[in-house]
Amino acid sequence: MIKQPFSSLLISAALAGSLLVSTPGTLYAADKVIKIGALFPMSGPGSYFGAQDKQGIELAIEQINKTGINGYKLEVQFEDSSCSPLPATQAAKRLLEQYKPNVVIGEECSDATLAIMPLMEQAKIPFLNAGSSSIKVTEPGNPWTFRIMPNEVMQGVDIATNAYKKLNARTAVLLYENTNAGIGNAKVFSDTFTKLGGKILADIGFGRDVNDFTSIATRIAGVGKVDVIPTYTLEGQGLKITQALAQAGVTKGGGGQSIQLGTIWLPFGFEQKAGKASLGYVRIVQFDPTDKREIVRGFGQAFKAKYNQDPTHINAHAYDQIILIADVVRRGAKDAQSIRDGLAATKAFSGVTGSVEFDKTNQNIKMDTIHYMETLPDLSWKALGWN
Amino acid sequence: MSNPEIAEQPITSMANSILTSRRFWLILAAIVISLLPMIFTDSYWRTNLIVCAINVMLAIGLDFIIGYAGQLNLGQSAFYGIGAYVSTLLITKLGVPFWIAFGCGVLLSGIAGMLLSLFGVRLRGHYLAIASLGFAVITYQILLNWISLTQGPLGIYAIPPPPALRLAGLPIIEFSNLANLFYLTAGFALLIYVLLDQLVRSPIGETLTAIREDEVSAASLGINCQKWKVFAFAIGSSIAGAAGCFYASFVGTLVPDAFFITESFTILAMVIVGGMGTLIGPVFGAILLTVLPELLRGIGDLRLIVYGVAVTLVVLFMPGGMVQAARLTAARVRRVVRGAGTEATT
Repeated sequence: MIKQPFSSLLISAALAGSLLVSTPGTLYAADKVIKIGALFPMSGPGSYFGAQDKQGIELAIEQINKTGINGYKLEVQFEDSSCSPLPATQAAKRLLEQYKPNVVIGEECSDATLAIMPLMEQAKIPFLNAGSSSIKVTEPGNPWTFRIMPNEVMQGVDIATNAYKKLNARTAVLLYENTNAGIGNAKVFSDTFTKLGGKILADIGFGRDVNDFTSIATRIAGVGKVDVIPTYTLEGQGLKITQALAQAGVTKGGGGQSIQLGTIWLPFGFEQKAGKASLGYVRIVQFDPTDKREIVRGFGQAFKAKYNQDPTHINAHAYDQIILIADVVRRGAKDAQSIRDGLAATKAFSGVTGSVEFDKTNQNIKMDTIHYMETLPDLSWKALGWN
Repeated sequence: MSNPEIAEQPITSMANSILTSRRFWLILAAIVISLLPMIFTDSYWRTNLIVCAINVMLAIGLDFIIGYAGQLNLGQSAFYGIGAYVSTLLITKLGVPFWIAFGCGVLLSGIAGMLLSLFGVRLRGHYLAIASLGFAVITYQILLNWISLTQGPLGIYAIPPPPALRLAGLPIIEFSNLANLFYLTAGFALLIYVLLDQLVRSPIGETLTAIREDEVSAASLGINCQKWKVFAFAIGSSIAGAAGCFYASFVGTLVPDAFFITESFTILAMVIVGGMGTLIGPVFGAILLTVLPELLRGIGDLRLIVYGVAVTLVVLFMPGGMVQAARLTAARVRRVVRGAGTEATT
């Protein structure tokens, strides 16, 4: 029972509001329940992750609970972890103490994920992550944290190798936000690309508070022939960078020759927002909507029916988190320990983003979750099929 | 004894003297602090209690600078960050014991505050606000970009809690225990409050208030305004540094984003909502603005909207903050009670 620390008119009003607490999901009196805690950024600059994650999760829960799994229904409670360590810690503790989940999914931002991990380990609750790329999440390994998403090393090595071998790129300019994930991804690209024989012409990091990329684009225009520009940033700055590079005549979207390389971080619909500036943009996504597998087509149709829009890769990886948990429950898991063990034993699970099989650090080793896309003149995508 | 009015007077005056006694309220605050972890037994609410204690330090430190010395400081997040990073780097890189690192964090934050005020000593109002905001931005950029020292956005993880306290004849007090960590941080917050309360009631407080009200008049009375402004900044920024030291050892993770300039505005909001220049007001402001978003988690996506509306309403209808609202309410209640008493007599 939570007691009020003090009373005042304002607090009373706030409490009256908080009495409207939405019960997590629907209560299933007749069924056994697997409780899933969901920690996602619902506020702040990363809130677009949380909104899309929620859609994917709710769709998966709805589908699974139509029949249940081994007599279990899934129930989810969302908490806003705000992409930042302290709010994430508060949200995680609230979940653990008050909701008492059997498994927790989230966060998207590496800083927040890294702050949550020790709490989950201490509480012995499995923590399934799908969106944080920092290598530290699974290195040296935490028995309670699992990651579906390829880590920064896997992504960076893959992008650099494909840039060198498939795009015949020999020169690159690195553009990245000064965050854990931005610096990590850029470093791996740089190391791999130079090892293959490529050359980094400029290495440009910037804070999340930078709003104007004109000077950076002008600088890139002056460094000589640039084949590729790997860019590691969230959507807001990503749009401004893409438009600034096109205006400076650097990238194909502005009549130049450089190809911008993008990351998993950008949501679907980025091209429509960036417009012609994104022409020729090659980026990796966790979900290929042109994938012919039955599960992908079914997901796409169900998502469209429920939300009247096409799914994004964030919707998809959130959906996969739930169906992976459902798969583990189907294999006999019923509590935190058995869900952890079931996740660790996962082999050849096939989700909408790709396959999942965890190594001894609980990192998914399957690379078919990375899909390469190229933006066409009509702003649609062409799947490059490189993995 | 037969006249009840005569008997009531000493009781009323005794009650009044108790209620206006600072010692009474401090003892009550200490009792409340000691009881809170027993009431809130889960780690979530104990975590929030610690955040409250840290925010109280930040708010009263800023209130001393803004509310008493009248210096519009928007750089509190920088001093908070300096305290956190200095203590953490000393502990993790040089193996310096926590309490020495804590002292260094507090000291360097205070020095940073003094330096800022020395540079901004001729600035007032909005100009000082912009200068201090600039200082916060510069500090944030240093924390973010001096990666070889601060790890920048890569962050510092697994920062240990303060070391256990071993007192002869007593059980070991582990600060990995949230209740103990709350007692430590809240105890510090109370100690700082008591010291500041003494300070603002001393001639120093009167001097600062004189500078706040009219700097030219204060100077004409022989007050060295520059010296006292530097003093106020040093004290307020040291307190923010202390809060930073506790923050790092409590969260265990340090990234520059925790000290972004928005943090300065959050602390300022705590001071304004509570009641600027009252010392007790920012305490309640800090508690309210820490607890309210957590209480509102139950309403999901609407949480921040309700929070924003609530804060706006406080500022609109209680421009003097919660303290002024409480005083007005108390005065009204007294008037109503007196009116009722007079009617009964007639």
